[in-house]
Amino acid sequence: MSHVAPPGKRPATWAVVAVLLGVAIAGTLWVPIYARSAPKFGPFPFFYWYQLIWVPITAVLCWICYLLLKTRPASHGAVRK
Amino acid sequence: MSHVNTVAFAILIGSFLVVTFIGFASARWRPAEDPMQLSEWGLGGRGFGSFVSWFLLGGDIYTAYTFIAVPALVYATGAAGFYALSYTVMMFPIVFIFAPRLWSVARARGYVSPGDFVRGRHGSQGLGLAVALTGILATMPYIALQLVGIESVLTVVGIGSSSGNALVRDLPLIIAFAVVAAYTYLAGLRAPALIAFVKDILIYVTVLVAIAYIPGRLGGWAHVFSVASAHLHTVNPATGKAYGSIVVMPAGEWAFGTLALGSALALFVYPHAATGVFAAKRRDVIRRNAAMLPAYSLVLGLIALFGYLARAAPSVNAGIKADGGNPQLSVPLLFARMFPSWFAGIGDSAIVIGALVPAAVMSIAAANLFTRTIYKELISPNATPAQETRVARLASLVMKVGALGFALELNKTFSINLQLLGGIWVLQTFPAVVISLYTRWFHRSALIFGWATGMVYGTVEAYRTSGGGQAHFGASTTAVFGHITYIAIVALILNVVVSVVLTVVFRRIGLQEGWDETRPADYTADPVPVPAASAGTRIRPFRRPDDASQIPARR
Repeated sequence: MSHVAPPGKRPATWAVVAVLLGVAIAGTLWVPIYARSAPKFGPFPFFYWYQLIWVPITAVLCWICYLLLKTRPASHGAVRK
Repeated sequence: MSHVNTVAFAILIGSFLVVTFIGFASARWRPAEDPMQLSEWGLGGRGFGSFVSWFLLGGDIYTAYTFIAVPALVYATGAAGFYALSYTVMMFPIVFIFAPRLWSVARARGYVSPGDFVRGRHGSQGLGLAVALTGILATMPYIALQLVGIESVLTVVGIGSSSGNALVRDLPLIIAFAVVAAYTYLAGLRAPALIAFVKDILIYVTVLVAIAYIPGRLGGWAHVFSVASAHLHTVNPATGKAYGSIVVMPAGEWAFGTLALGSALALFVYPHAATGVFAAKRRDVIRRNAAMLPAYSLVLGLIALFGYLARAAPSVNAGIKADGGNPQLSVPLLFARMFPSWFAGIGDSAIVIGALVPAAVMSIAAANLFTRTIYKELISPNATPAQETRVARLASLVMKVGALGFALELNKTFSINLQLLGGIWVLQTFPAVVISLYTRWFHRSALIFGWATGMVYGTVEAYRTSGGGQAHFGASTTAVFGHITYIAIVALILNVVVSVVLTVVFRRIGLQEGWDETRPADYTADPVPVPAASAGTRIRPFRRPDDASQIPARR
């Protein structure tokens, strides 16, 4: 799959991205983790607040991946090379 | 519900007129040098930056499904309806993975639809045709779902529901749809892109106010959950089982997970999602949006909870019972009973406009599919871009009529099934569209057989399900090895297995391969969008500072 990566992205970067996105998808795909009502968050059963909390978590994971894969040379921070 | 709520209706009409004006005016927004190019009408000139794309994709993905069908399911069955939240959580990592490659190859080769791409990738008209027909077929029930959403608002406002005459009853719906069809015809994708701004402002305002205000009026969340839980545990006399549960039961976990995953995978191959992706200006726009679009998922989660709020409001339950137990009415009724009339009107407008935007994008997406993959390939290979655009405009009208047919024919009690049924079909194009982004290993003919297997199996299984008061196409799950599973996922697995086996067989017997017109570099291409000279003359009202700073750094 090395031809998949745009020039300058190391396989390690792609591996990190794959893991982060895999976690993001698995978080709500694995239903038995959260099909329960305790612990409650205020009046909300676990089932509800767990899913809602995954929304910002997914957003953050995607954002990290976006920064990792950014190709623009002028951008600083994130990943070089 | 026979009397008309005048204030709410006036506000509804007012906002409809505003978006109609915007729809027609949008034809002049960012005018193209040559408007008779299909990528102008059908993809808004491929020029939408992060900001516009955010609204367009959000407006496109979060539809009346979100505002009517999901809370209706939660109202009726409880936790099972929350698969929709799980689905939208999974969706963006999936978009993040696949969409940039699809965007790049479409930009590099001038594709306007997934059908186009598949035809070029596999050198196979037949496979392109299969993808296009599936996309068109799957989009019709999805547009129909939007119609059902509008209908339930009109019913609660008191318009058109009292007449026994079918034509009179559906007249407001038909008029609204005709107006949308007119400005979509004229302005193409620019119309829904601009209207999406209005839609989203209305929706965010409505949802935030509702979530802050309504629970207090109903005695707080703890009370809401206990009322909902008590109802869900009572036994439904029709089935002899409980109505549902407040937390997914072990028996329902497979259905929940596969519905979420199947819907998330299907969404990406729905033509309208691809249209939103293709319309982006740069490759980065898509990845950045994958990280920012979940804001809508949060809204979806809150709206799903409206189903419980409706359950905890005795006046809403009474209203639903009075209309023959139609749960689609739960959110419009919740607005009508809990809000003052004028704000109920705002909420109703949010739902109606929230249905019009995706309906417009979907009909455009299907029109793009038809024009490139069917008209240009099979009917008129020498069509000029202007002819293509003209055909696409007409096709968008035909799509809307077809959707009306679905809306009037199929069971509306659980309109969510309309979307899930489309999902079963459209997911069968996943191997041809998405796997092909990475590999050409599959033989084109094997992919066609795999697709056909999935389509036949999925349709037959869906036909055999009963539910919601009808004998066929009543549900979208079936038992496989003792697990209740979304039919789309089972069909997809069969599809892939057949494609793999036949690829090996076809290679062995030396069946001719197709010619791949794409190159590896196409899949990571990120061409500079607009010549600098014309960029300055365009209207860019909402340029964000970081956008501006990045332009000179390109390449």
